[in-house]
Amino acid sequence: MKLGILIFRNLRRNLLRSILTSLGTVVLVFVVTLVWSILAFLQAATEEKTRNLKAIVTERWSIPSRLPFSYAATLAEGAARSPQDVRPLDSMNWQFYGGTVDPEKISRESLIYAIASDPRKIPTMLDGLESLPPDQEEQLRKDVEKLAATRQGVIVGRNHLTALNKRIGDRFKLFGISTYMGIDLEFEIVGAFPPGRYDGLAAFNSDYYLNELDAYARRNNGRKHPLAEHSLNLVWLKLADTDAFNRVAEQIESSPSFNSPAVKCETAASGIASFLDAFRDLIWGMRWLLAPACVATLSLIIANAISISIRERRLELAVLKVLGFRPWQILTLVLGESVLLGSLSGLASAVATYAAVNWWMQGLKFPIAFFDAFFIPSDAMVWGFCVGAAASLAGSFLPAWSACRVKVADVFSKVA
Amino acid sequence: MISPMPTPAKREPVVRVHDVHKYFRRGSERLDVLKGLTLEVPDREFLGLMGPSGSGKTTLLNLIAGLDTPSEGEIWVADQMISGMSESQLARWRTRNVGFVFQFYHLLPVMTAYENVELPLLLLPLSARQRREQVKTALELVGLSDRLHHRPGQLSGGQQQRVGIARAIVTDPAILVADEPTGDLDARSAEEILDLLGELRESLEKTILLVTHDPRAARRTDRVLHLDKGVLVESGVADRAE
Repeated sequence: MKLGILIFRNLRRNLLRSILTSLGTVVLVFVVTLVWSILAFLQAATEEKTRNLKAIVTERWSIPSRLPFSYAATLAEGAARSPQDVRPLDSMNWQFYGGTVDPEKISRESLIYAIASDPRKIPTMLDGLESLPPDQEEQLRKDVEKLAATRQGVIVGRNHLTALNKRIGDRFKLFGISTYMGIDLEFEIVGAFPPGRYDGLAAFNSDYYLNELDAYARRNNGRKHPLAEHSLNLVWLKLADTDAFNRVAEQIESSPSFNSPAVKCETAASGIASFLDAFRDLIWGMRWLLAPACVATLSLIIANAISISIRERRLELAVLKVLGFRPWQILTLVLGESVLLGSLSGLASAVATYAAVNWWMQGLKFPIAFFDAFFIPSDAMVWGFCVGAAASLAGSFLPAWSACRVKVADVFSKVA
Repeated sequence: MISPMPTPAKREPVVRVHDVHKYFRRGSERLDVLKGLTLEVPDREFLGLMGPSGSGKTTLLNLIAGLDTPSEGEIWVADQMISGMSESQLARWRTRNVGFVFQFYHLLPVMTAYENVELPLLLLPLSARQRREQVKTALELVGLSDRLHHRPGQLSGGQQQRVGIARAIVTDPAILVADEPTGDLDARSAEEILDLLGELRESLEKTILLVTHDPRAARRTDRVLHLDKGVLVESGVADRAE
């Protein structure tokens, strides 16, 4: 307690240096918090669950996956053929669609990627929408009801609302691009995804999409659109546990209904992990280069500041020894200053990052695969505190050790 | 509370230095600073140590104060052999047994006079109230009870040295060691500090060891020892210091 008082007093000794060291810690903990948040999010997404898990069914031998829509109903039942077979708790079909509002001038802002599905599945099957604040949950429920009732309705992400300069209730037309060329869709915006959730996505009625694929043939003398027979991209299944997953996967992969093309059924975590394989180097670099480099830099900054402080205070430390302070007390004093400054700065940085990213920015926009925004987990407060404390402890240990080994007689002989 | 030490029937030596050598090694070369030095300092004596620069007087003071350990020989202070103690044991011993007064005061600049004097008491098992009482008594004894909350930068050199003396006596140590306490002061302040040391010696019955180059300071002592090249060359009363 008494040493604590001294530690506090020493921190305000050179206020400018304390503030600069603190700012350095804040900035680096900020970067580490962001990096670790993204890594933690991806880790959580690729971590196998044992209960209430999701499975993804895609084409086995082709990327991108393109399945006949006729597979949808059977897959939704987990290819169950007898009463003893296991059925999924829930399911959701995804049919991708890409279009632009301005075919003459295609730009990032004018492009929209959307999924066509059964609107009622949106709240239960889209990740991240199951734990919304009550007001957002209620708004989403209303929007989904409107989408189900509005054949040409669409729920869009916040980024699209901004880029299109549209409001809820406005209408717009999308012109199909690439493989979707020839499928032009007219939409009425019936709602928006909650802030920070699916900001770069849109969702609309599967019925409307299927009708337009059929209409394409009518408009083109019976010639079907190339996607007409392959408009289903993937099917999500919700399963009770690992055992249920194994049974359903076996039912699907052994079903004669899915021979051409063949399908594969894997856990969502495994599917996402496969998808993220393309980002493997980036993620590796973030985990093993960027984050450690930040922590190392932080330690060096603190080591430098504490070393300067120790050099300036050698005489004072010698005086403390003369007064009877023991080496471990000097060590505690110096480490205490550093760890106090580092841990409090780290905690402040993490709290500020949490508030800024989650509340003010509505998520960190860092698109990796189909994750376009990341949120800072509440665990970040603990990380920030621990990273600040650990880096400052590592950075100040050698200077503190040298401080506690100060030879009183040597110091005073130099003064004399 | 600071209280006068009980007066012994006979003035036993409070400091005993027996055949002490101190040498340093610089590469293969050995530098002898103290060469078989022996002395005794009776209880309540005001002893002056004089000698040219490099004679070993500060080294001797550091050894007696437990700031350094002898290469050979024994040092006893208040019936404790300090020459065999570890660094931690010496630190603990210093807190209760030695008060050190520096030439350049060496007060902590971020602390007030009160806080500086309180510093050694933080190492003792005292309550806040006990600490407060002892600090106030010490500052009253040095005549600075009206400067409790001044920082060193707000005090004159003489006042800073008074705070340094208060810090040295606040734990009621067995001996006070002062290394040229007037060396950084003008003549008037130096006289005041010497007066103060004399008064403390009388009122608190302390044993004081004073290293000085100043003959006027030496005249205030009971006895002066002269060191030259690590040996005691002359011992006498203060009048002969000059």
